[in-house]
Parts: sequence; structure tokens; C-alpha cells
Amino acid sequence: MKLAFQLAYKNLVGAGLRSWLNVGILAFTFIVIIFFNAYLDGWNLQAQRESIKWEYGHGQLRHQDYDPLDPFSINEAHGKLNASQSENLTTVLIQQASLYPEGRMVSVLMKGIDSDQKILELPTEAFAKSDANIPALIGKRMASSNKLEVGDQLLLRWRDKNGTFDAAEITIADIFETDVTSVDAGQIWVPIERLWNMTGLRGEATYFIASENYSHSPLDKWYFKSQAELLKQLQEIIEMKSASSSILYFLLLGIALLAIFDTQVLSIFRRQKEIGTYIALGMTRWQVVQLFTVEGSMYSILASIVGTIIGIPIFWYFSTFGIGMPEYVTQQDMGVTIAQRIYPAFTIGLIMGTIALVVLSATIVSFIPSRNIAKMDPVDALKGKVQ
Amino acid sequence: MEPIIKIENVTKKFPEGEGEFVALKDINLEFQKGEFTGVVGPSGSGKTTLLNIIGSLDQPSSGNAWVMDKNVAELSHKESAQLRNLHLGFIFQVYNLLPVYTVFENVEFALLLQNKTKEERRKAVMQALEWVGVENIPNKKPSKLSGGEGQRVAIARAMVKEPKIVLADEPTANLDATNAHAIIQTMKKLNEELGTTFLFSTHDEKVMQYLNRIIHLKGGEVEKDEIITAQNSKS
Repeated sequence: MKLAFQLAYKNLVGAGLRSWLNVGILAFTFIVIIFFNAYLDGWNLQAQRESIKWEYGHGQLRHQDYDPLDPFSINEAHGKLNASQSENLTTVLIQQASLYPEGRMVSVLMKGIDSDQKILELPTEAFAKSDANIPALIGKRMASSNKLEVGDQLLLRWRDKNGTFDAAEITIADIFETDVTSVDAGQIWVPIERLWNMTGLRGEATYFIASENYSHSPLDKWYFKSQAELLKQLQEIIEMKSASSSILYFLLLGIALLAIFDTQVLSIFRRQKEIGTYIALGMTRWQVVQLFTVEGSMYSILASIVGTIIGIPIFWYFSTFGIGMPEYVTQQDMGVTIAQRIYPAFTIGLIMGTIALVVLSATIVSFIPSRNIAKMDPVDALKGKVQ
Repeated sequence: MEPIIKIENVTKKFPEGEGEFVALKDINLEFQKGEFTGVVGPSGSGKTTLLNIIGSLDQPSSGNAWVMDKNVAELSHKESAQLRNLHLGFIFQVYNLLPVYTVFENVEFALLLQNKTKEERRKAVMQALEWVGVENIPNKKPSKLSGGEGQRVAIARAMVKEPKIVLADEPTANLDATNAHAIIQTMKKLNEELGTTFLFSTHDEKVMQYLNRIIHLKGGEVEKDEIITAQNSKS
């Protein structure tokens, strides 16, 4: 095998431009595969991290009637837990409301949350610092779309538990910045105590956010979504994106492998006399098959080396400085968390896995034409007569 | 003395259209160690086929070809590769040097297959290059060699493993007269100094002057087996 590698390397380097073209296209494929996967991994990791920090915590205990995707479920989906049941949980109550910025009416979800909660990154400490009647937190997207600033006062209208409309002025206590659009767009956060008073739903919650120390035991009328379950949807969206991206790099890999296959077929046809000479000099036919297969897979080994050399500065640059996402993507609720800058996650596993994929597939496409050598008549090969 | 090569009733047929072409017809020959023998005859007389069978590159359709006490007709691919690697050297009409290797690497190739150490290979290669007078161009690529140099390198490659038998198929066909004489003299010298058996296929008169024995083939049959006396043979 060592001999096959030595000879394959010499043959490859000796073949000049043809080899380097194959190596070049394979190295490009190698970089693209790693880059796309790292980009999606980076997006996934950031999205998961941000979703945990801003929305999911360590899981959510939801009222049985609460369906985050069904707005009609919101007003009726609330209930109470006693003190021992709600240990290590942060209460969130959701009610529908209308906001009137600059005379326009905007439908919003009004979410009440414990002022002293520490589970989420929401700056709820701003509630205590504000002396407003109803201090509210909003996200940057909400502020931007409604032209709101800290200190602005505006009318909020809601219904209490009896369905009676009520209205009051709220004051923007703070504007937070997050990549998680589902806690930002179309939402205002108010202290839970105030929301209980406003709606008459004292002690009620739509869902609870679990802290690290929460241990769940089944409760009547409530269901628990673990952190992993909550992140599953996000992962599925990214996996779907990953699958669609993989079409691109499998096409690229296919083109590169086709080039290797073509080179191998041509090489075996053109180098018949050389093959005959190897056999005349004492190589077995399978040693020659091995030599040509190694030669083909050597393209992928050289491509991995070239790809790594070219890729390292590129990978370093993007993993350090990230890739900026267009504002219209990050400012809108795309249904999935997207950071303003995505930092691709180039892991050893991804790089080694890609090298293995490229080397293995190149070896297979090199072997397919090379195995015909085993059937060659060495006399015909020496004469260059093999068809 | 036991012959180094023994051909017993060898017939070789090739398919040709609906029928078959008989390249060798019931050939019987023996070759002793140290012979410098030529197989001569017109094109299609079976010279190269006979050499290919002796070189275990081909197998007879019937009969036996004993080379170094091994019956070529019964060898597996692996065994015939081993026979060629250890005991046979080949010289071709168009040299068949491996284009991407240097002169040194071309000659070294056969030793790589024998798993010789780097130092053993270096010594043997330089000695072989000296035998044929090209020790000053070890780093040249075959594309940069003249015809004479190319064939000398091919001889060095055949001789570097000090084989018992060298099979040369029309070795001077692509060379001018001066180079042809020089090449054949080099082989004659190696034959005398190392006792290597040389077997040529040729129809070159220049080669025939140096042979100890000439086997005339015609239509796949031995027409004449001629021993050349020392006075008639150049040395």
C-alpha cells in the first residue's frame, strides 16, 4: 500500500495541470461543503442559545388549552398553581390587547412576567426602576415598526376576565434587543402583578418558564414541554434548510467525482502500455488496480490538503467576524430565530467528516474504472490494444 | 545441464474472426543458462508470442513452458507476477519507460516491488546505470532522453534486479546503427560478465552478428535452430 501511495503521488504530480484541475474543483467542493454545514451549524447553535436565553429557559409548563400557534386559544388558556407546584418556575400570563401608537391601532400580545425573574434575559429589572403606572418592555423590532422610544406613553386597551374593555396609558420602560422575534414582534411585556390587576386574573398563568432546578411531575390541566422538545422545531427547520443546501453540495461533489471518474477512464485507456509495463515488471494486476484507485483517491487527499490551506483563513475570518444578515431578514418574524450576524461553527468533526466523505467517494469512483485493469490482457496492454 | 527454459509442444492460438490464428505450432525448444539467443523471423512468425509465453505474460493454448522450473501454463496471476519480479527482465522496442519518473526512479521501480531498502536500491540502481553508461543522467525524465539513452535506461531497469533471464523484444528496432551496436554490445557484455541469459526477438542483422544461437521461426514453427560458432559471432 505504501508503494501504491508513493507511485500514485508521483504519477499525480507528474500529470501536471490535469491533476491540479481535479484537485482544484474537489478542494472547492470541500470548502463549500464545510462552509455551508458550518454556517447552518452556527445558525443552529446561535438560534438555540438565544431561544433558551430569551424564550424557552429550561422548559415550559403550559396550560392544557394553550396553543402558541392558535391565537383563539389565548384568552381562555390560563390557570393557577399553588406555591409548591410553581417552585422554580416563572409565571407568564398572555392576553390580547390593542395598542394605539400615533393614533393607529395595533393588535398585540400583552405578556405579564415576574419582575424579579432571572431565567430569561428580558430586562425585567426595568419594571422596578420605572415609576410609571404600567411600565412596559418592548423589543427593538416592535419599537421600530411602531416608532416607539423609551419613555413614550401610549394607550393600551384590553379586556378583563369578564370581557369588559378597559384602557390605560402605558410607558415604554426599556427596549431590548434580541434575535428571537417571537418575544419581540407584536408583543409588549408588563409586570405580572399589574396584568393580574388589569384583568382580574390574579395568580393565573398561561405558562410557566422552568429554571434549571425545576423538576417536573405531572399536573392536571398542565403539560410540560422540555427544553429539547421546544428546540426540536427549530432544529427541524434548520435540518430542512440543511437538506436543501445539501443538494447544492452534492451536485458540486458529483461534478468533482465525475471529473475524477472521467480522468480515471481516460487515464486507464491512455496508459495501457504503462499498465502492461507495471505487470511486466512484476506487479500483480490487483496491485495495478490498487495503484490506480489510490491515484484517484489521492486527488481527494490533495484536495483536502489544498482545501484546508485555502479554507483555514476563510474559515477563520467568517468564524471571527461572522456573516451579516440583511436587516429585512432579522427585523421580521421569519418563524425562526436568525441572528444579525451568524458565526459559522467549524468543528473538527465537521472537517474530518467532510474529508472522509470526499476521500471515500473519490476512492469509490476511482475503483470502478480501475477494476477493469484486472481483466486486461497484459500483452494487449503492452501493445496498447485494449478497447 | 538442466535447461533454464524448456518449451514442450507449445501451441498458441488466437481467435480471429470466426476462426482462429495459430501463432505457435507445437514448438519444442530448450535454452541453457547464459545463452545469448535470438528468435528471428518475419512479422507474424510467432517471435513475440514465444517471448510473451516465456515471460509469463501469456499462456500457451496447449503444451508446457518451463521457466526456472516453473510451468508458466499453470501459474496463477500472483505466481507469474512473482516470477517476473524476481527472475525476468524485459526490454521493449519502444523502451516503455514510465514517463513521470526520472531515470533513477524508472530503474529503481523493480526493486521497490522487491521491498529492498533505500540504500540497497540506491547502490543497485547506480551500478545498473554504470553498466549501461548512463550514470551521469539519473535525474532526467524519459522525455528528455535520446533513443539510445532511453534503451540503455530500459536495459538498466531490466538488469538492476540481476535477473536470470532477460527477454528483449526488438530492442534495436527504433535505434540508428551506431546506437544499435552500442546497445547490443552492452547486453553482450552483461551476458558475459553476469551470466544472464538473453533472449531476443529480432530481425535486425546488426543484432544477429552478436548472437550465439539463432532460432528461425516461420508460420509459428521452428524452421531452423542454428548454433553460431565463436568465430562467426562478435563479442
